[in-house]
Amino acid sequence: MNPDALLTCFASSACLVTQVTSGFIIGMLLFLVAVGLTLIFGVLKVVNFTHGAFYMLGAYFAFTAYGLTGSFVAALAAAAVGTGLLGVVFERWFISRVYGGNVLMQLLVCYGFILIFDDVVRIVWGAEFRSMGMPDAFMLPPFIVAGGVIPAYYLFLIVCGLVIAAGLGMGLSRTRLGKTIRAASHNPDMVSALGINTGLLYACVFGFGGLLAGLAGGLAAPVRSLTSGMGFSILIESFIVTVIGGMGSILGALVGAILIGLIRTFGTLGFPLFTEGLMYLFMAVVLIAKPTGLFGKDIA
Amino acid sequence: MTRKKSGLDRRSFMALAAGGAATLSMPHIAGAQAKTIRIGMPTILSGRVAQLGTSSRNAAMMEVEKVNAAGGLAGRPIELVIRDSKGQPQEAARVARELINTDNCEMLIDAEASTGGFAVHEVARDLGVLCMHTNSETSSLTADPKLRIPNAFRCCRQGIHDSAAGGNYAASIAKAKNLTRWGVVSPDYAYGRDTTAEFLMYLKRFAPNVEVITEAWPKIFQADYTEAITKLLQAKPQALYSCLWGGDLTSFIDQSAIYALLNQMEFFAVNMADYTALTVVKNLPKGIHSGNRYIKTFPQTPANAAWGDGYRAKFNEYPTNWSWQNALVVNMLAAAAKKAGSADGKKMAEALMGLKIETPFGADGTVTMRAEDQTLIGYAIGWGTTIPTEPYVPGVTPGDWKQILELEAEWKKSKGWA
Amino acid sequence: MPKLSVRTELLVAFAALAVLAMLPAFTSSKALVDFVIRAAAFGLFATSLNLLVGYGGMVSFGHGLFFGLGAYSFGLLMQRTGLPIPVAFALTLVISALSGLVIGAICVRLKEIYFAFVTLAFQMLLHSLIVSWVPLTGGDQGLLGGIPRPTFFGVNLANHIHLYMTSAVLLVVGLLLMRQIAQSPFGYTLRMIRDNPGRTSFLGVNVFRTKLTAFVLAGVFASAGGTIMSLFVSSAYPDFAYWTMSGEAIFIIMLGGTSTFLGPMVGTVVLLLLNDVVTRITPHYGLVLGIVILLFALGLRKGITDFIVEWFDDRRTARITAADAEEGAR
Repeated sequence: MNPDALLTCFASSACLVTQVTSGFIIGMLLFLVAVGLTLIFGVLKVVNFTHGAFYMLGAYFAFTAYGLTGSFVAALAAAAVGTGLLGVVFERWFISRVYGGNVLMQLLVCYGFILIFDDVVRIVWGAEFRSMGMPDAFMLPPFIVAGGVIPAYYLFLIVCGLVIAAGLGMGLSRTRLGKTIRAASHNPDMVSALGINTGLLYACVFGFGGLLAGLAGGLAAPVRSLTSGMGFSILIESFIVTVIGGMGSILGALVGAILIGLIRTFGTLGFPLFTEGLMYLFMAVVLIAKPTGLFGKDIA
Repeated sequence: MTRKKSGLDRRSFMALAAGGAATLSMPHIAGAQAKTIRIGMPTILSGRVAQLGTSSRNAAMMEVEKVNAAGGLAGRPIELVIRDSKGQPQEAARVARELINTDNCEMLIDAEASTGGFAVHEVARDLGVLCMHTNSETSSLTADPKLRIPNAFRCCRQGIHDSAAGGNYAASIAKAKNLTRWGVVSPDYAYGRDTTAEFLMYLKRFAPNVEVITEAWPKIFQADYTEAITKLLQAKPQALYSCLWGGDLTSFIDQSAIYALLNQMEFFAVNMADYTALTVVKNLPKGIHSGNRYIKTFPQTPANAAWGDGYRAKFNEYPTNWSWQNALVVNMLAAAAKKAGSADGKKMAEALMGLKIETPFGADGTVTMRAEDQTLIGYAIGWGTTIPTEPYVPGVTPGDWKQILELEAEWKKSKGWA
Repeated sequence: MPKLSVRTELLVAFAALAVLAMLPAFTSSKALVDFVIRAAAFGLFATSLNLLVGYGGMVSFGHGLFFGLGAYSFGLLMQRTGLPIPVAFALTLVISALSGLVIGAICVRLKEIYFAFVTLAFQMLLHSLIVSWVPLTGGDQGLLGGIPRPTFFGVNLANHIHLYMTSAVLLVVGLLLMRQIAQSPFGYTLRMIRDNPGRTSFLGVNVFRTKLTAFVLAGVFASAGGTIMSLFVSSAYPDFAYWTMSGEAIFIIMLGGTSTFLGPMVGTVVLLLLNDVVTRITPHYGLVLGIVILLFALGLRKGITDFIVEWFDDRRTARITAADAEEGAR
């Protein structure tokens, strides 16, 4: 334990800028995964345990597309479209069969698919880890702000995350589709009775959630090594995020993700050996104080 | 992506190997009972580090083929029975027991990582069969007399050797370049902690004015190193030590690159000079100091180059650090059987004590199974700096085994183990 | 499930024990002996989870906490204190009960998915603790140097047959006790809470206390399973307290069926067999296991014993209807 390091950092603007931005960086990728998770839960009432696998597949799709075309835009597109389509198929063929039933049954289907996806990745892309490499466009020296260091690519990442967060918030509150989705999350029978095809709606929401996770994977691919099973730790962390923020709340996912990011960056200064434990501790405290999470009341 | 490494491959290969051995075996043993000897090999074939397990399997099979062609273990052709433990210690224990009890294996090649290795060690203690640890580098496995058993040997690197060689090498650089303020980024588990502590102990011994000003301990398999990197940026050490490995090391390097972290300090990464990491990093920074893991240009001998190329030609991938260790063990067993004149585990264990064999992986062309603590010494060990293309680490400074052994003896004494 | 008298159940348990005891005499297969030991460890673990999930409707994602806690407590007590095995075992159960009491008091107030997550959080907290408290636990390497097994009452657990017998006894006694708990008035209160917590509390039942008791009891039996596992591998590993252990237990009870008492035991045997056979054949264990899981979850849609029980029920109903029809025709 090293509280002095924490205090020293609070006294230095350079340290604060660097640590806060890196908290946001960790938080943004987490947010993209967690927001899909929370959206799917809010509307479909399904806890999608395969969400980490979508993140992993997104990264591998991006890796392959980047290798073929050399274009980072194409890589991101492949990650998003590929996982989005997969999400639709997955929802229609498999998840839709266990709606309303036992939560354990949903869990089991997801568990089965996690195992399958991990092995499929190993068969298709090999057991060894891979690295995509940073696109040339981002090979810039990092920016220096008030003495703190912010890499160009991470600035891009944070902007991406915030734009998506804002877009989602606007989309859900302003557009017709968004309103339908919110309505469906409150009362699916009513929406169905109004002549809206809920099956299609569900598939779209699930596909969109998968798309966001895949996009996060694509965005992570230049800086994280790719390996079968890589979706696992981010899945667990996204769960912590959604539980802290409140299942079904988009704002909660954003705040939760950033909080976890900050806990990680400042925790590593003050409590280097217990950073992981700190996250679980925080989650337990939130759950005990407010079981529905920080923003748990309003759904979607 | 031409990867054909399925169980089917293995079985058909094994049938071939056994068949080939039977027909090729030398005339003077053809008359004797050339009964196949089964050797059990628990390793990690699935999950996160499956690549290491398959590279262990490949190397062992490649050598078994050669040994069988030359008559096998005292005339008995070897059949490897390879099982997946999924990297779980309780599975490693179960599989090891099953290999002996059900599959009639007479000895074990324990190709598990550390945790699984300790579990298999307990099985060997229980069942009394000959057991060769080929991948567990944790020093205590053989150095701690409380853990030692007469039937288990370590046929691979050992952490303390690497640290002694690395600490000495790093100290010489530190003194030449006046690097006094050091940072550490290592994985937070037993291997990472022990290796780092030992490395720093030797570094400070040879360069007493070195001080460690910052430490970051990311979790093993952590995907994101941003917090570690920014912490290091704040502290601005002159040199950085890391024993991250595999995908963790490459992630760390990729993420450091966008912070321009490694341009600001000398980087000592003991596990960098392994083909799995060297070939994966897209923009490998120049001048990373690393210990050798397996590299076909060190020792720079035709035998070593031929072995590395042979492996690559056969399996279409580079050998790993685990490959040479599992190749060596097969040769070690063959030599022990030859010396003992028998494929009996007990007699071979006696023959293994102090056994010295010729091998491409030896620092001077030989390695020795030290009798005193049943562990391997004299293998190729050295440090050098990286370049982004083949041969990746052009000049490796060999470690001084005489000094390594002295330091090791002293360390054992300090632990109360000698 | 027909309700059997306590005496019949005792007889069944005794018969099962007798069969297990004679097994080594009839077969020389050491793998079978190993299998029974592992089945005892996982069987106790899974059945205790079903006490929560099946009877109490409390889906815990963190049950592995107690499995790991049992293994570590017992291993550490044996390595550090030199207590006799039965005392260390009893102490292990006490430690688990106390931990269960504290953790349960926090967790059982929460419902459904939140209960699941907070149990998971506690489990991961224990896992973090085990991994980072290296001087005590040996960190990720687990407890090194083996677990000493001094002989007690003529039982030498270093002898594999003795270990086998001990595990078999613990399994049968553990199952019998859990069965009695499930069939007791307490067990029925638990089912009532599962089906309708609101009404149960109107009836004057203290829901919190009932749930907490179930949580503690389940934890105690799970830790007994962990103890057996630690004896089998002669160590304890952080994996035992990792969430995958809880995941496996959930899968086992789903596979075997949650509505019958012996379902988790059937699930244990099937999963272990599956594991042992598939890992021999292919390194793509995940692929095969995943497909099997999907066949169950999407095809059968219920556990093995659920399926069998329903099949029998259907046949009985069919017979009765047929008999009725016959009577009506007459």
